[in-house]
Amino acid sequence: MDAPEIDLFIHAYGANPRIVGAKPGEILRDVLIRIAVIDEGPSGALVFVGECEEALAEADGIENGADNHVPVDLALTIEVLELHRHRHVHIHRCRHVAVDVNFMGKTKHHRFSPATTVGTVAAWARKKFHLDSAAGADYVLQLCNSTDRPRPDNHLGELTSPEKCAVCFDLVKEVTPQG
Amino acid sequence: MDSPAQRLFEEDVQSVPFRSGVFKRLWGMDDPESLPVQPSWPIRAFWLSAAARPNCPTRFYLQLDLTGYRSAAPTGTFWDPATKAILELSKRPKGRPDSRVARVFRTDWNAGTAFYHPYDRVAATGHPDWLTQDPHRVWNSNLTIVDYLTEFHSLLNNGDYIGI
Repeated sequence: MDAPEIDLFIHAYGANPRIVGAKPGEILRDVLIRIAVIDEGPSGALVFVGECEEALAEADGIENGADNHVPVDLALTIEVLELHRHRHVHIHRCRHVAVDVNFMGKTKHHRFSPATTVGTVAAWARKKFHLDSAAGADYVLQLCNSTDRPRPDNHLGELTSPEKCAVCFDLVKEVTPQG
Repeated sequence: MDSPAQRLFEEDVQSVPFRSGVFKRLWGMDDPESLPVQPSWPIRAFWLSAAARPNCPTRFYLQLDLTGYRSAAPTGTFWDPATKAILELSKRPKGRPDSRVARVFRTDWNAGTAFYHPYDRVAATGHPDWLTQDPHRVWNSNLTIVDYLTEFHSLLNNGDYIGI
């Protein structure tokens, strides 16, 4: 009997994330070619699996840190890559996304994996700016020079073009409903 | 035949953001024990996971009226699947005094039948000043059930959530 398909969550810049079914024995490259997110020839695309949370373990004193999240070998199978556990597959040309977060006149920097969620960046920023867990939870990320507040599940790679590889945020406080 | 609003909702619950939240056990609609059958459209029931607090559930249920989805905001509140009625006020999640959590989950407004939040249709209709006070949280047709669930999941996992 055939093994059941696993639903993969495919993320890439410039497109809404989508769900693709894949058999455990399928080669990841074949899956990505089948859905036309990479070409058969060399594409320069980097493919990350899972959502990276490395920055949350970064020591307080580190400035300008960088994630080690390594792009995967596309010749491996869905099963070997443990995609039943990771689910998320992120395709991007940026090895890292350089993030600046501004708060109270100070800026913190980190080079994140493109497969990092905005929620993880917000948690990292709250830690870096020493906002305690209760008071800090109301602080969220807003794109610089805009009023856009990306949802916590958005991947950084969905927010930056392959030419730019950078995102700037302000850390802002949610409004408490009044009246 | 399904209405356009219902079809749009069904598309949204098949999207990556919704399915990813289910996979992470942040929320869901599928709970054979407590939510064996979904109510008739435009009502839908959901569960949301909550931060652990002593002697408190780690899952709360919502029943929402999704009339006009997505043009119109949802409205609703906490639900008790055991009694098939709105959750008793004494069993509602509470927030630290004067916190955002306490304000949104207040039960001394509108008899506790809606959330005191701009994403709630009833609350927003009664507070036109919120359009200028908090323009980031004004419901619009680009928002989905995922934005709604993300917001309320965040409140149930906020450090200011103190239990029931």
